[in-house]
Amino acid sequence: MLWIFLLGIPLVGAFVTLAVSNGVAKVTAEVIAGIEVLAFIAFLVGPRATLDLSWIPAWGIRFHLTADGLALFLLGLTAVMSLVAIFASKADYGRTYFFWVLFLEFASMGLFGAVDLFLFYVFWELVLIPVFFLLTGWSGARGRLAALKWLIMNLFGSLFMLIGVVAVAVIYQQNTGHFSFEIASLTHLAISPAAQPWIFGSFALAFAIKAPLWPFHGWMPDAYGEAPPPITSLVAGVLSKAGVFGFLRVMLPIFAPELARYQTGLLIWVAVGLVYGAFMAVRQRDMKMVTAYASLSHLSMIALGIFSLTAAGIVGATFLMVAHGLMVGGLFLILGVVEERIGHREFNGVMGLNQGAPRLATYFLFFALAALGLPGLPGFAGEYMIIQGLVAHEVVFAGIAGFVLVVAAWYMLRLFQGIMQGRPNAPAVADLSRGQVAWLVPMALLIVVIGVWPAGITSQAVPSLFHAVHFVADRGGKN
Amino acid sequence: MQGLTEILLLPLFGAVTIGAFKSLAPKRYAGIWASVLLVASFVLAVLADVHLAELAAGHRVISGTLFNWATGFGPKIAWNIYLDPLSGIWLLVITGVGALIHIYSNGYMHDDPDRGRFFGYLNFFIFSMLLLVLAGNLLVLLIGWGLVGLASYLLIGFWYQRPSAVQAAKKAFVMNTIGDVAILIGLALLYFRFHTVTYAGLFSTFAHATPNTAYFEWTAVLLFIGAMAKSAQFPLNGWLVDAMEGPTPVSALIHAATMVTAGVYLMARLYPLLRLAPDVAYAIAAIGAFTAIYAASSAFFQQDIKKVLAYSTLSQLGYMFLALGVGAYTAGVFHFMTHAFFKACLFLAAGSVIHALGGEQDLNQMGGLYKKMPWTTASFLAATLAISGIPPFAGFYSKEAILGQVFNSGHGLLWIVGVITAGMTSFYMFRLFLLTFFGAPRNKKLYDHAHEAPAVMTVPVVILGILAVIGGFFGSWLNGWLAPVFRMYPGASHAALEAGPVFGTVITVGLAVLAFFIAYWLYVLKRTAAKAGISTWPGKWMLAAYGVDTGWRNVAILPIQVVGTWFRDRIDQGILAAVVGVANGIWLWAEDLRPVQSGYVRRYGLSIMVGLGVILAYCLTRV
Repeated sequence: MLWIFLLGIPLVGAFVTLAVSNGVAKVTAEVIAGIEVLAFIAFLVGPRATLDLSWIPAWGIRFHLTADGLALFLLGLTAVMSLVAIFASKADYGRTYFFWVLFLEFASMGLFGAVDLFLFYVFWELVLIPVFFLLTGWSGARGRLAALKWLIMNLFGSLFMLIGVVAVAVIYQQNTGHFSFEIASLTHLAISPAAQPWIFGSFALAFAIKAPLWPFHGWMPDAYGEAPPPITSLVAGVLSKAGVFGFLRVMLPIFAPELARYQTGLLIWVAVGLVYGAFMAVRQRDMKMVTAYASLSHLSMIALGIFSLTAAGIVGATFLMVAHGLMVGGLFLILGVVEERIGHREFNGVMGLNQGAPRLATYFLFFALAALGLPGLPGFAGEYMIIQGLVAHEVVFAGIAGFVLVVAAWYMLRLFQGIMQGRPNAPAVADLSRGQVAWLVPMALLIVVIGVWPAGITSQAVPSLFHAVHFVADRGGKN
Repeated sequence: MQGLTEILLLPLFGAVTIGAFKSLAPKRYAGIWASVLLVASFVLAVLADVHLAELAAGHRVISGTLFNWATGFGPKIAWNIYLDPLSGIWLLVITGVGALIHIYSNGYMHDDPDRGRFFGYLNFFIFSMLLLVLAGNLLVLLIGWGLVGLASYLLIGFWYQRPSAVQAAKKAFVMNTIGDVAILIGLALLYFRFHTVTYAGLFSTFAHATPNTAYFEWTAVLLFIGAMAKSAQFPLNGWLVDAMEGPTPVSALIHAATMVTAGVYLMARLYPLLRLAPDVAYAIAAIGAFTAIYAASSAFFQQDIKKVLAYSTLSQLGYMFLALGVGAYTAGVFHFMTHAFFKACLFLAAGSVIHALGGEQDLNQMGGLYKKMPWTTASFLAATLAISGIPPFAGFYSKEAILGQVFNSGHGLLWIVGVITAGMTSFYMFRLFLLTFFGAPRNKKLYDHAHEAPAVMTVPVVILGILAVIGGFFGSWLNGWLAPVFRMYPGASHAALEAGPVFGTVITVGLAVLAFFIAYWLYVLKRTAAKAGISTWPGKWMLAAYGVDTGWRNVAILPIQVVGTWFRDRIDQGILAAVVGVANGIWLWAEDLRPVQSGYVRRYGLSIMVGLGVILAYCLTRV
């Protein structure tokens, strides 16, 4: 029943927002997103509901959603970040904008909850649409180009994934004589060795494009750069998780033996992206691009944890997904405020905005510290668990991850200090408004709480993940 | 937990309240509030240590758990709190010296418009440092370790309008991150093998482990790199001298008395691990000795009063590592304690001088100040005698304890380095003292305006000066106090203080006295200027600390920048171009569908949605 609310509130709410006048659209959307957060809290404290309806019986497709430890906090992240993004949006964006944001929330909720592979695919495609329209309608000068790149690359990936989905289903049918798209039932497929890398690759490609992981980030600079800050914050904070989430939700159960077999190659691949993103972030002159490439590096870090195929690495990756969503989402919103105040995104040399805007500087520093993995904040906890997973068998990659953490301190402080500190070299800007502080404070508190008490998340995330990890071990993987 | 939670939370409470109310209350209240909380912490710390002393010698541990940190991937990691005589010493020094420096800062920062922020940061630092030493496992220690790094960053860059302060803060943070990461990987290795990171859990298992395996060597090396970064041992030393950009009380508290000794604390704490990695222990001693002599020689030609003190801190930290490396754990902790007294005194007295001269730090502008600032001069002299190892001042006892034990343990070469460094220390410290307080005033205008600091500053300086005189007499008490700690696990059989050979003491003190006369001859009788010799090649090298910063730039920073630029201008351009290429390919292919193609971007999106709907409808009707 709760699932009906969780999906229904943003979906129905989206159309309600479309129906009201432009003047009250933002308030309406705020209320709806707020109710959605309450619904999630009900979900968190109540019994973990699942929704399992027959959808297309002939093909064994079910409308099956659940909130296991893997999905639970990503659902929460979606609810919280959507609310914050709506708060941070300008009211004059108009009702269509808020319609698409709520629609995006609906689609993301479905994506993180789906445990039927076909349903997963449907939501996978569904999230493309609102982002596409938000990019075309409310972006900067190159917004349409950004939207087109987003759409083409993601459709390209999805196409391969669709082939993979069909292939998996067909193989299952050949094995058992009937159809099923239930991910949990697709775990013991006998895939012919010739087909294995292709099916595996088709999923991996789609996930890598969505995240994005290096070198499939071609759409990222334009989309992150051109989108309005709340949308960048949602895409980087929430949707980017869909990609790495796919590796956990789909690939870990279905392709456990393949993951174990290709482990070294996969680790090398994401380690390259890890270093690449960090080095790129050091050399950017556009403040949004520093964070964009930092995010590329972080996503590789999450993937590194997943591919460690250890309990610690996978729990750490799950944790870091949530933490990264809050930290990078918040950072993009702060950068949005800065961009709005100074009118551009370049940070050549020194700007010294701290003098006139101390509160802005304080929150900026907080989110930058969170993003660089300051001990005591959640990024550190996630990175620790990932490194804990890596030292088990792949200690070289633990070293690379550690090296990148040092570079992260460098590029984040370079960003913060370049904009905020030094002799004031630009006109003073207005400080954060009361309204802005009102949504930054709860976000910052939430980050502190999960940083000090990661157990709140990891203890919930465990059962389903352990199942997955033991599964890898049983199927000949390492643990 | 005998008030440990309160000791920990009081300064945090102070930082939070100051942060929340600093714009509401009058400015001076922030400093008073912060100081009151620190004095209260000190009282609680004394009580906690008294309580510890009442326990039976073999059971002097107070420990507890606040709540879980992380669970789910193996045995849980919790917020363990742990007080034993070793952390008890740090607890006293942090809150005691910390309280004096807080009080002093009320005077020093009196005219700063932003001093609410200053005291908020200062209290936050104390909280973080207490978390570091009261941690019951390596992970909580690492959180405190990272947070003191943050406090240090914030306070070095306190005057954020100064480009040099901003650079110095970044450098300190990034270099310390190297150490944080090393500890992180080291503790992950320990957890992987032993499924715990608590001290008690690890050390009781270490007792049965085989020494000298690659595993233990690597783990010990990683944890030592963490200690090196925090305690600025060569080659991770560049940040500490730049850190002098911060306000002087910060230099006294963080970059002399407490934070930079965290590495000493960690290595003393991990003595059971060092037993298993004897080669690493030797490396600690060697790097310590090298840093001692390297930093001492770098201090010779410095022109800035605080930079001389910064190099001397590096050098004295080197002594402490030398002690730990040869197993003289009590001697190392002893030197930490006396160093906290005399170095905090030196920095605060230097702060009074800088305050009196309106912010001037250049030795070439000082001289003759003893007439104007008698209390400051007397305290500075006491601390100088202490650091130079002149009996019966505090530094003499602790330095002798270290050198004696280095000799006894058969490390002849390291001993010679230590003895020579003692002579060098005496020279550059008296050079500093004489150039500042004696001779003719070199800047008449500044001299005429100079005045003794107000009582709120002078009293803490004098108290520390007294401690620099008598601190050495705490040695035998400390020996007994720490004995239970080093008896608890195997690996510290020579931890207790030992007397060295008499001829060693004679040579060391003799060199120190000789160095004093050389300094006196040069800087008082011959009136040599502070800047004499800095354009000669040894002068240039020593002034630049032998180019260690340039080395880092060429070895680490430039390569990353060059590769990053190559990624940005070449590789990423290629990746972006590839996207456009693929898109164009699809475009050409789509030319066949010209009638549908409107060129209007939204249409494409809409058609996808429609297409998806059609597929779904088709599926549903098939049912």
